[in-house]
Amino acid sequence: MSGFAAVLRKDLRLELRSGESTLALLALSMLVLVVLVFALDAARVRSVDAAAGALWVAMVFAGMLGANRALLAERDNGAIRGLLLSPLDPATLFAAKLTAALIFMAVAEVGAVILMVLFFNLDFDASIARLAPILALGAIGFSALATLLSAITGRTRGGDMLLPILAVPIFVPALIAGVKASAAALAGAPLASMGDWLKIMIAFDMLFVTAGYLLFEHVVGED
Amino acid sequence: MNNSAIRNGLGYATLALMLAALFMVFDYVPPEAEQGIAQLIFYFHVPLAWVAFASFGLVAIAGVFYLWLGDQLWDDLGYAAAETGMVFCTLMIVAGSIWAKPIWGTWWTWDSRLTTTFILWLMYGGYLMLRASADDTPQVARFAAVLGIVAVLDVPIVIASVRLWRTIHPAVLVTKQGGHGLEDPRMVATLLVCLAAFTALWAWLLMLRFRQLRTRSRMSALAVRIAFAGAALSDPK
Amino acid sequence: MSAPVVETHGLAKTYGLAPVLRDVDLALLPGAGAFVVGANGSGKSTLLRILAGLEAPSGGRALVFGQDTRKLAARYRRRIGLMAHQSFLYPNLTARENLEFFADLYSIADPRASADKWLGRIGLAEVADTRVRTFSRGMEQRLSAARAMIAEPALLLLDEPFASLDHDGAEIIAGLIRGAIERGASVIATAHAVPEIGGVEFTAYEISRGLLKEHAHKEEVRRGGRLRSLLGR
Repeated sequence: MSGFAAVLRKDLRLELRSGESTLALLALSMLVLVVLVFALDAARVRSVDAAAGALWVAMVFAGMLGANRALLAERDNGAIRGLLLSPLDPATLFAAKLTAALIFMAVAEVGAVILMVLFFNLDFDASIARLAPILALGAIGFSALATLLSAITGRTRGGDMLLPILAVPIFVPALIAGVKASAAALAGAPLASMGDWLKIMIAFDMLFVTAGYLLFEHVVGED
Repeated sequence: MNNSAIRNGLGYATLALMLAALFMVFDYVPPEAEQGIAQLIFYFHVPLAWVAFASFGLVAIAGVFYLWLGDQLWDDLGYAAAETGMVFCTLMIVAGSIWAKPIWGTWWTWDSRLTTTFILWLMYGGYLMLRASADDTPQVARFAAVLGIVAVLDVPIVIASVRLWRTIHPAVLVTKQGGHGLEDPRMVATLLVCLAAFTALWAWLLMLRFRQLRTRSRMSALAVRIAFAGAALSDPK
Repeated sequence: MSAPVVETHGLAKTYGLAPVLRDVDLALLPGAGAFVVGANGSGKSTLLRILAGLEAPSGGRALVFGQDTRKLAARYRRRIGLMAHQSFLYPNLTARENLEFFADLYSIADPRASADKWLGRIGLAEVADTRVRTFSRGMEQRLSAARAMIAEPALLLLDEPFASLDHDGAEIIAGLIRGAIERGASVIATAHAVPEIGGVEFTAYEISRGLLKEHAHKEEVRRGGRLRSLLGR
């Protein structure tokens, strides 16, 4: 397990040093929200549905960028080969990259929530706190999925375009559940009432964290 | 060769079953009371759905075997199943649209079945796009296998979430759950024949495509052996 | 006679339709050194990557420590060090941070002390806290060598370790190789021509057209390593 800590520490150190990924993620989240404010004409109306939807759109875009970045660091100088050569288990590498992507996404989410409240005329109250577990579940599932898929698309011609094409249909169930639960939370409903949606998200997360852990070795090797 | 006998036999069986199905749907079975003649598309819609999902399942199974055994045969099977499945999935979406128009007046409706099929169609599309853009990558078979497995495991969650979505906020256009209320035994018979006909068609197309891909793989392997032999021949003595 | 550290039988590798390695037989005993000389594209890098377990052969077998290279367990990977054309270093980390990371990855007891020790050996102690992105090619190569050797591997695979190095840099690398052999490691290195490394004896091989054979100007191997070579079929 020291390998996990070493890789994660390295990724966080690299990110703290340059900060470009975090900045890009925050900028992207903000711009997506701005576009949606105008597209949905949400400037005057207080709408939790529009807010929840916009938040998740921003998260999905940020999540894809974040996962891509987490693996991108290994492309310089063929560093991924250095990792594959080492005693490090590919499954452990997946866990470390997933965690890094998750941290990036969490930072972007915090920014996005703040902006959402401001742009969509909401209040900073208890309903925002209720969002936290929903967003966390969404982030875990999406980071796992995107980390696994970007190992594939990163090595493919036109890979940047391919990642959303592959990720979005697969993410749909968690997206539906997440948006519905988020809208309900913002409207004041207690978490207990969203049991079904949360169950779907938990199932999704368990599936993709496990699948990524088991299958990562097949997508990260040379051949 | 045994295989070609099976293929040809399957081809003829498909032809016969399809003719029977067409006859039964358009001449034999009584139309349903409420929806009238547009309801007949149900007899095509259900078999198409079964085949589209089954094909997808086959893609995943072939992927598992490929990752486990490493034989190119499984990769070819997975690819053939994906292409064939895509055809039937597209047909199913078209059929859904054709049915929606006379019943509801719009070309599309987000009912749970059609939505799930559309997601499936997007997954197929993504799989085929991955194949296309990774053609020159030696690992494409592994990538496709992993994608297929992961997508198929997701399908049950997709079905559950879409169903929940539609029941909590039912669409303005609520669709009839076409699987229930088959009172007339002639309806059951027609459905079974259609199921058999489309399954046969699918299996036949799958075998044809699979055979093409196998031939291509064998030719590549042969080309490699020729390259080796050629190099050996021109070795200095 | 102890078991070979490296063994290949009929090793073949194709990229697409082009055979890069055709029928390579090689055996290397513990503590022995081999130089594989060949032109660009002759397959020497491919051979090393297969031995390191990074790529799978298309045909034949490669065994390292008696294990099939396609399925090397972690404890065997720990004993292999590879230095390739790519440095595997992180440009935005400092030299010290890079070495510490790899030391950590290979479960070395005190990563920082180990990193400092190796930085001294390769003459980069003054730039220990400078980012690798500012390094010259020669400096990066020396650091890459240290990265490969930091875990004191039993098998060292070096792909053109002297390329683009000046005299001092080459001396440093030669010293590292000498040190590795002296502590009992086995070394396979590739190059365009057989270099001079004072103090150790190597067997020289030639690789061309996908086949491996003894170099025209081979030397004797110290410590009685037995090596089979294939003169083509």
